[in-house]
Amino acid sequence: MEPITRGVTPAQRTSSRHRTRRRLLAAALTLPLLVGAAACGGDDEGGSSGDKVELSIFWWGAEKRAELTEKALDLYTAKHPNVTFKKTWQANQGYFDKLATLTAGGNAPDIFQMDDNYLSEYAERNVTLDLKPYADEGKLDITKISKGLIDYGTVDGKLAGLSMGENTQGLVYDKTLLAKHKLPEPKTGMSWEDFISWAATVSKTAKVPGTQDPSAVYQALWVYLRQNGKDLYNGKTLAFDEADITKWFQLWKGAREAGATPTPDVIHEGNATDISKQLVVTGKAGTSWVWVNQMPELKKNTESELGVIAYPGDTSAQWARGSMYFSAFRGTEHKDTVIDVLNFLANDPEAGKILGTDRGLPPNLEVRKTVAETVTDPAMKQTIAVQDELSKLFGPTSPGVPPSGHSKVKTELVRIAEEVQYGRQTPEQGAAAFVTAAKAAIGQS
Amino acid sequence: MAQMPVRPTEPVPPPPAATRRGGRGRRRREDVAGYVFLSPWLLGLMGITAIPMVLSLYLSFTDYSPLIDVGEAEWIGLDNYREMFTADPSYWHAVRVTVTFALVAVPLKLAAALGVALLLNRAFKGIAFFRGMFYLPSLLGGSVAVAIVWRSMFNREGAVNSFLGFFGIEGAPWVNDPQWALETLMLLAIWQFGAPMVIFLAGLKQVPAELYEAAAVDGAGAWRQFTHITLPMLSPVIFFNLVLETIHGFQGFTSAFVLSGGTGGPVDSTLMYTLHLYNKGFVELNMGYASAMAWVFLLVVGLITVVLFNTGKFWVHYSDNEER
Repeated sequence: MEPITRGVTPAQRTSSRHRTRRRLLAAALTLPLLVGAAACGGDDEGGSSGDKVELSIFWWGAEKRAELTEKALDLYTAKHPNVTFKKTWQANQGYFDKLATLTAGGNAPDIFQMDDNYLSEYAERNVTLDLKPYADEGKLDITKISKGLIDYGTVDGKLAGLSMGENTQGLVYDKTLLAKHKLPEPKTGMSWEDFISWAATVSKTAKVPGTQDPSAVYQALWVYLRQNGKDLYNGKTLAFDEADITKWFQLWKGAREAGATPTPDVIHEGNATDISKQLVVTGKAGTSWVWVNQMPELKKNTESELGVIAYPGDTSAQWARGSMYFSAFRGTEHKDTVIDVLNFLANDPEAGKILGTDRGLPPNLEVRKTVAETVTDPAMKQTIAVQDELSKLFGPTSPGVPPSGHSKVKTELVRIAEEVQYGRQTPEQGAAAFVTAAKAAIGQS
Repeated sequence: MAQMPVRPTEPVPPPPAATRRGGRGRRRREDVAGYVFLSPWLLGLMGITAIPMVLSLYLSFTDYSPLIDVGEAEWIGLDNYREMFTADPSYWHAVRVTVTFALVAVPLKLAAALGVALLLNRAFKGIAFFRGMFYLPSLLGGSVAVAIVWRSMFNREGAVNSFLGFFGIEGAPWVNDPQWALETLMLLAIWQFGAPMVIFLAGLKQVPAELYEAAAVDGAGAWRQFTHITLPMLSPVIFFNLVLETIHGFQGFTSAFVLSGGTGGPVDSTLMYTLHLYNKGFVELNMGYASAMAWVFLLVVGLITVVLFNTGKFWVHYSDNEER
C-alpha cells in the first residue's frame, strides 16, 4: 500500500474506552499510514467557536470537482477565518480502500464523501455521525431538501449522510454518429424491445454497435426490476427472484444475437467504472448507461455531441437518487463546526452556485432554482434541463438506501453477467448463480 | 522469506580472535553494540512485520472489519477457515488460477533467464549494453506503468494485434478475453526475467574455465558440456532462483490488479490469490476472512519452500562436498 504523504488527518481521539485498542490497531495495521499522518501533528484543542479549528475533508472525483469543492471550502474559511481545511481528494478507484484503512487506524477524516454502495456499511458500523439530532435542533437545515433525498441518506432511523446531489439514470447517446448516418435518435419512453431493435439498426448502418450491453449494469437492472413490479432490495432482503434475472439475461442475449451490442471483450471494457472508458466516449458503441450528473465528465472525453434520455421502458420506475453524500466521522473533535460546514455546503446559495451540478442537482430546492437560473457551464445546463424533464416522469416511490453488501452484489452482477456474455453460462445458470451470490453478499439466509 | 540452505562448505574456521583476547565483558559490550546497530531494522521488523502478523493471526479467528475497533471484533473460531474451504467457490478458483500461474510462469521465466544469461556470458563488443537492456524490464518490475502499457498493447486494437495483422493473423482481445488474460499476465511475468538472469550470469562466471577445456579435450560437444558441466555447476544458483521465483510467483499481485482494474476479471480469469484476499479485506471489508486467507497462504508457500529444499538434496550439486 502506498503510504499517505499528503497528510490526511491528525489523529482523531475517540472515547477513552476505545483509545488503547484503537491505538494498538493503528500502530499495528497502519503504521506506514501513521508515519505520514503523524508528521502532520495532532491537534487536541477543544471545539468551541472562536478557537482555531482545522477540519480534514476527503472526497473522490476528478479535477473539476476538486477545484469547485476547494473554492466552496475557501469561501467558508473566508466567512469563518478560524476554520481551515485539510483537503484530500483522489480518483474513485481506491478511494474506499483508503477510507477504510484510515478508519481502521482511527484517523477517519472529519468529513468524507460517501455513496450508496457503502453508506449502510459505515452507518451500521457506527463510523458516521448521526445528523438527525442536529437537524431536529435546527443546527442543520434540511427543510428545503426533498424528503426522498433525506430518506436516501437514512439508515436504521439515523441520518448517516447528507445528500450533496440529486441524480437519475441517463441513457447517453452519440448524436454526431447518428446524424452522420441519418439515423433517428432514441426517445424517452421507448420499450426495451424497441430500443434493442433501434440499436440493431444502428449497428447495421453505422458499423458501430448500437448500445453497450447493460446486463452487468446494476442500475439498469434495477430500473428493469421496478418496471416489472419488483425491486433490487426490500430492506435487507432481495426483492427479485431467479426468473426475473433469467428474463433480464435473456433479453440481452437476444440483443447480442441481433447484433445490437458489441462483442463480450468490448462489453467488458465498458463495464469498467471509469467514466473515460464508457463505450459512448471511446466510440465503441452508440449508447452507454450512466447517471445524468456524469454528462460533463463524459463530454470532456469525446469530440462527439452527446444526448441523454431516460432508460427504456416505463419512466416512472426511475427515481431521484442521492448521488453522493457528505458524512461526518462520529469521532470528530469538532462536531458543531462539522455540522455547520455541512449546513453551509448544502444550503448556502453562494456555495451552491460554486458547486453547481458536479455531484448532481443541488439538494436544497431553493439553491437549485438559483443555480438553474445562473449556471453558465453548458454541460451543467444540459444536466439540469434533462433532469428537470425526467423528474416530471418519476413515479411516487423511490427505493431506500441499499443494504450492507451492496457493493459486493454489484461486482457479482458484473462477474456473472460477463459469464453469460462470454457464453460460459446460460441465462438460467447465470440467474441462479447471481441470486445465490447476492443473497450471500447481503447476508440473507 | 526462504533462506539459502546452510551447508558446511569448508571446515569451520576457529572462532574470531576477539573472544580469546577480550573475555566476557568485552563480548557483552560487543553484543550491546551489535543490537544497537541492529535496532533500526529490529524496530521495523517488530512494528511493521512481527506485531501486525501476530495481530492478523488473532483477527483471522474474528469477524473483524476495518470499520470497527479490534476489541469489538467477535471471536468466531474457525468459521473463516471453514467458509474458505467449503463455502467460497471463488477461493478455490483463485487457488487454481494462482497455481496455474506459478506452474507455467516460473519455469518459463527461469528458462528465459538462463538462456539469455548463457548468451550474455561471452565477451564481445557492447556486451555491457546488452546486459543492461535485458535487465531493464525487471527494473520496471512490478511497476504499475508497465502493466498499463501491457494492457494497451494486448488489447483488441493494441500493438500486438497490429503486428500480427501484418502476417494476416487476427489476434484475440488478449487481456479482455477470459481464455487469454492469464496467459498475457504470465507473459508479463516471464518478460521480467532480469533479476534471475543477473544471478545466473554471476553463477556462470564462477564455473572454472578449465572444466570446459578438459571436457573439450575429451571430445565433449557443446550440448554435453552444457548438461554435464554447466547445469551441475550451476545447480545451487538454479535452486536459489527457483525458490525465490516460486515465492514471487505465488505472490503476484500488482500486474493482475492493474490489468483487471482490481476485479480479477474478465470473469475471474486473473483472480490471483492475493487479489482475492485484497478484495475480501479492502472492498468487502471482511478483514478477518482476509487474515485467515493470508495465514493459509503463508503456510502453503512455506510448505512448498520446504518441499523444494528437500528435493534439492537430489539434484543440487555443491562441488565442495564431493571433494571430501
